[in-house]
Amino acid sequence: MSRSSEEVLLMVNYVRNKKTDGMLYMMGERMAWMQNSKNTFSYSHPYADIKSQKISPDSKEKVQLQVVMHNGSANTFHFNNPEGRSAQIQDRDAVKELLQQLLPKFRHKLSSELEEKNRLLKENPELFQLYKDLVVTQVITADEFWATQANKYTNGGEKGELKQQTGVSAAFLADIKPQTDGCNGLKYNLTADIIESIFRTYPMVRKKHAEHVPHEMTESDFWTRFFQSHYFHRDRTTLGNKDIFSECAKKDEEDIKEEMDKNVKDPFLDLTQLTDSTLDEGYGGTTEDKRISHNHTNLTMIRRFNYHSTMVLKACEKNMGQQESHKGDSATNSSEQIGDSPSPMMNGEASTSSNTEQSEPVTKKARIREKLELEDFQPEEKEKSLNLQLSRMDRYLHGPTPVVAVRYTTGEDMMQATHSVATEISHWTPNLTQVISENVALSVLGELSPGGALMHGTSLQQLHQMVSPNVQEELKQQYNALCELLRHFWACFPTSSKFLEEKVVRMKSTLERFQMAKLNSLKEKLEEDHYSIDLTGHMEEMLAAAYRKFDMWQSKRIQKKS
Amino acid sequence: MSDRKKASLLVVVIDTNPVWWGQRLVDQPDKSLTQFLDSIMVFTNSHLMMNHRNKLAVIAAHTNQSCFLYPRAESREAAGGGEPGGAAGAHDGKYELFAQVNEQVMEEVKNLILTSLEGHSETDSLLAGALAMSLCYIHRCEKESFTGEDLSSRILIIKGSEDNPAQYMNFMNAVFTAQKQNVTIDACILDNDSGLLQQACDITGGVYLKIPQPSGLLQYLLWVFLPDPTLRLKLTLPPKAQVDYRAACFCHRNLIDIGYVCSVCLSIFCSFSPICSTCQTTFKFMGLPKIAKKKQKKLNP
Repeated sequence: MSRSSEEVLLMVNYVRNKKTDGMLYMMGERMAWMQNSKNTFSYSHPYADIKSQKISPDSKEKVQLQVVMHNGSANTFHFNNPEGRSAQIQDRDAVKELLQQLLPKFRHKLSSELEEKNRLLKENPELFQLYKDLVVTQVITADEFWATQANKYTNGGEKGELKQQTGVSAAFLADIKPQTDGCNGLKYNLTADIIESIFRTYPMVRKKHAEHVPHEMTESDFWTRFFQSHYFHRDRTTLGNKDIFSECAKKDEEDIKEEMDKNVKDPFLDLTQLTDSTLDEGYGGTTEDKRISHNHTNLTMIRRFNYHSTMVLKACEKNMGQQESHKGDSATNSSEQIGDSPSPMMNGEASTSSNTEQSEPVTKKARIREKLELEDFQPEEKEKSLNLQLSRMDRYLHGPTPVVAVRYTTGEDMMQATHSVATEISHWTPNLTQVISENVALSVLGELSPGGALMHGTSLQQLHQMVSPNVQEELKQQYNALCELLRHFWACFPTSSKFLEEKVVRMKSTLERFQMAKLNSLKEKLEEDHYSIDLTGHMEEMLAAAYRKFDMWQSKRIQKKS
Repeated sequence: MSDRKKASLLVVVIDTNPVWWGQRLVDQPDKSLTQFLDSIMVFTNSHLMMNHRNKLAVIAAHTNQSCFLYPRAESREAAGGGEPGGAAGAHDGKYELFAQVNEQVMEEVKNLILTSLEGHSETDSLLAGALAMSLCYIHRCEKESFTGEDLSSRILIIKGSEDNPAQYMNFMNAVFTAQKQNVTIDACILDNDSGLLQQACDITGGVYLKIPQPSGLLQYLLWVFLPDPTLRLKLTLPPKAQVDYRAACFCHRNLIDIGYVCSVCLSIFCSFSPICSTCQTTFKFMGLPKIAKKKQKKLNP
C-alpha cells in the first residue's frame, strides 16, 4: 500500500489499463494505478522516472494518456468515465495538467544524477567492471565507490555545465500551434518551456504575471488574455490601451528609448558617428543620407528587432556577471560597469555620478590605445639573459668507460703484438676451403638451436601465448579490482582523522576478504590449469606490502596509546 | 617477379686493431687474424652468391685510420688494377667476382698492416669513422642504384677490441643517422661486450651477438648474419638481450641508475653538489629541509 506520508493529489476513477478497470492515483512523488478488485498498486511510476506524457488527439475515439519512461518503456491509460466523452476528457486533462506541473520539478533533481552515473558506467567498461567487482560483491559501498570515482570522471561534466544558456527559438510562438475548437475559438497548449520562452521574450509579461496571478485572475485566464491582447498582436495593429498589457507596451517603449539614450561607450562601435560623406572632393560624393522611413509598421518592426537584440545581449551580460561573481572576482570593477551601469553618459555630457565621469575618458583612451598599438610594431625588448658558460665541454662527448677491466698494456707489448701480426699477415695466403672444422661448426649449431646456450629466454618471450585469453582477461580484472582497493587503502595515509582511521581498518579487512574470496580462488584455478609461472605473485606482493604498512601503523598507534 | 629487383648491400666493418690481434696471437696461436679474415671472405662470397644483384663493401677499422678494403679506391685501382685481374684469370675457373674480392681484401689488409707498423698504436679502433664511411658509401650506392631497384643496406661490424669512450658522440651520431636512413647495424663481438654497439643494434633493429667460440666465426656469420633483416623475422634467432641504456655520470664516467641532472646544462652527476661543475649554476634547495623538520616534530611527542 501507499505510504501514509504521501499525499494523494488526485484520484481518478474509471481508468482502464491493459483492458482492466481501475483507479489512477496522483501522489506527491509518483503516479500509481490500482485494479478495482485489488488493494495494491499494479503500477507505480515515480515522477522522476517519467520522461514525457502524450495524449491522444481529440479526433480519436478513445481518450488516452500515455507516459513514456526514461528507460524507453511506456504505459497507456484509457479514461473511461461512463458519464460520457466530455467527462472523460475532463478527467484526462486534470491528470495531464497535474503531470505538467509535476514533471519538470522531478526532472532535474534525481534523474540527472542517476543518469549521469548510468552514463559513466556505460561509457567506461572498465569502470563498470570495477563497479561489478567491488560494489555488487559488496566489497565497498556504492556511495564510497562514487565518492572516489566521481571526482575522476565528473570533473569534465561540471565544466560543461557552465555552458551558455540556450536561446529562445525564433519560431516558438508559431510552434505552439493553436487548435481550433470548431466555434471560431483557438486553444493553446502551453508547457512550462513555452511559458519560460514567453517570459524571456517579453520580460514585461513576467512582471504582469507575477502581479496578477493568482491574486486577480487564474493562470489560464491570464494566458487567454495574453493571447487576446493587443500587446501580443500589436505588430499587426496599432496600440490600444484597454487591457492589462497595454501598460507593457508603454513600458517597452520606455525601455527602447532608454536603450537609445545609452550611448555606446566604445568609440569604434558608435554607428551614430559614422556618415556616408567624405571630406575631400574627388574622393567620393558628399551626399548626406537623409532617407527616413515613414512607414509606421516598418519602424515598429525595426524597433522590435533592435529591442530583441538588446534583450539577447543583456542576457549574455547577465550570464557573464554571474560567472564573475561566482569566481569572486570583485576586483574587475570596469567590466561590471559596462554590464550593469544603468545609464552610461554621452561623451562630454555632465554625469550624475562622479565615478563614471572620471573613468569614462580613461576607458575610452584605453580602448583607443588597444586598437592603435600593435604588438608587432613594438620595439623588441631584449631580456638580458645569462650566457651559458660551459667549462668542460668534452664531458658531453665522452661515453661511459667500459665496465670490463682494461687490460694494461705497455708500449713494448703493443709493439711486439703489432709486429707479430705483421709477420703473420705477410705470410698469409687465404685458404678458403679449410676455414672451419666440422666439430666446431656442429657445436656452434648446437648453441644456436632452440635450447642452446645463445637461445636463452626465447621461451619466456611468449608469455602472452602461453596464457589463454580468458585467463589473461580475468587476471586483468582482478588486477583492476585489487589496484582500486589498494588505492583506497593507501589513500587513507596519513590517517589524519578519525574517519580515515576507521576506513583503514575497514579497508584492511576488505583486502583480506578480497584475498580470500577472489585471489585464492583464482590461484587455485590457475593451479588446475597447470601454469608453471607464478601469475599471482605480484598481486600477493602488493597485498603483503599493504599488510605490512597496516601492521606498522597499528603497532605505532598502540604505542602512542600506551 | 618483384624479387628480381631486390638487392642487398652489405658493408662489413672489420676491426683490424693490430695490438688486440697480436695479443690474441700470443694467448691463443690458433685464432689469428688470418683465420678470421678467411672466415669473413667466405662469408662475403656467400653474400654475393645469394643474389647476383647483391653488393658488398669491406672496410677496415684500424687503430689510426679506417680504409676501404673492397671496393678499392679508384686512384689505387688505377695503380694496381691490371695485376690482380691477371692473377684472378690464372685461378682455376673461379667466379671472377669472388677472386677479385678475395684478392683485393688480402692485398689491402697486408698493405694496411705493414704500412702502419711505424705509426703510434692504440688499443682501440676507429669504429665511428668506419661507420661513417660505410654510411656514406651506402648513401652513394642508393643514389646510384637504378630506378625501380630496391636496395636494402646493412652494416655488419665484427669487432674485438674495446670501446673508445672518446668516440662516443661521433659513434652515436652515426648510429642515429643509420636509424634515419633505415640501415640496420649488426654486431658480431669476438671478445669484450660493447655497450655502445648494443645500443646501436637495438636502435637500428639489428642483431647483437657476442660469440662464445671465435673459432666457429664462420658458422655464426652464416647462421645469424647472412639472412636479410626482413627474413630474420621468420627465423628463430638468438633473442635480443636487455640493452643497458644507462647514462654515465660526468664526474667519474660510471654508469648510474639514478643520478642528478643539472637543470641548466643537463650534465649528469652521481652525487649532489650545490654548484654544477659544468655550468657553475648554483642550486638552492627549498623543499628538503622542511620535510625533515616535520618528521622531527612528529617523532617528538
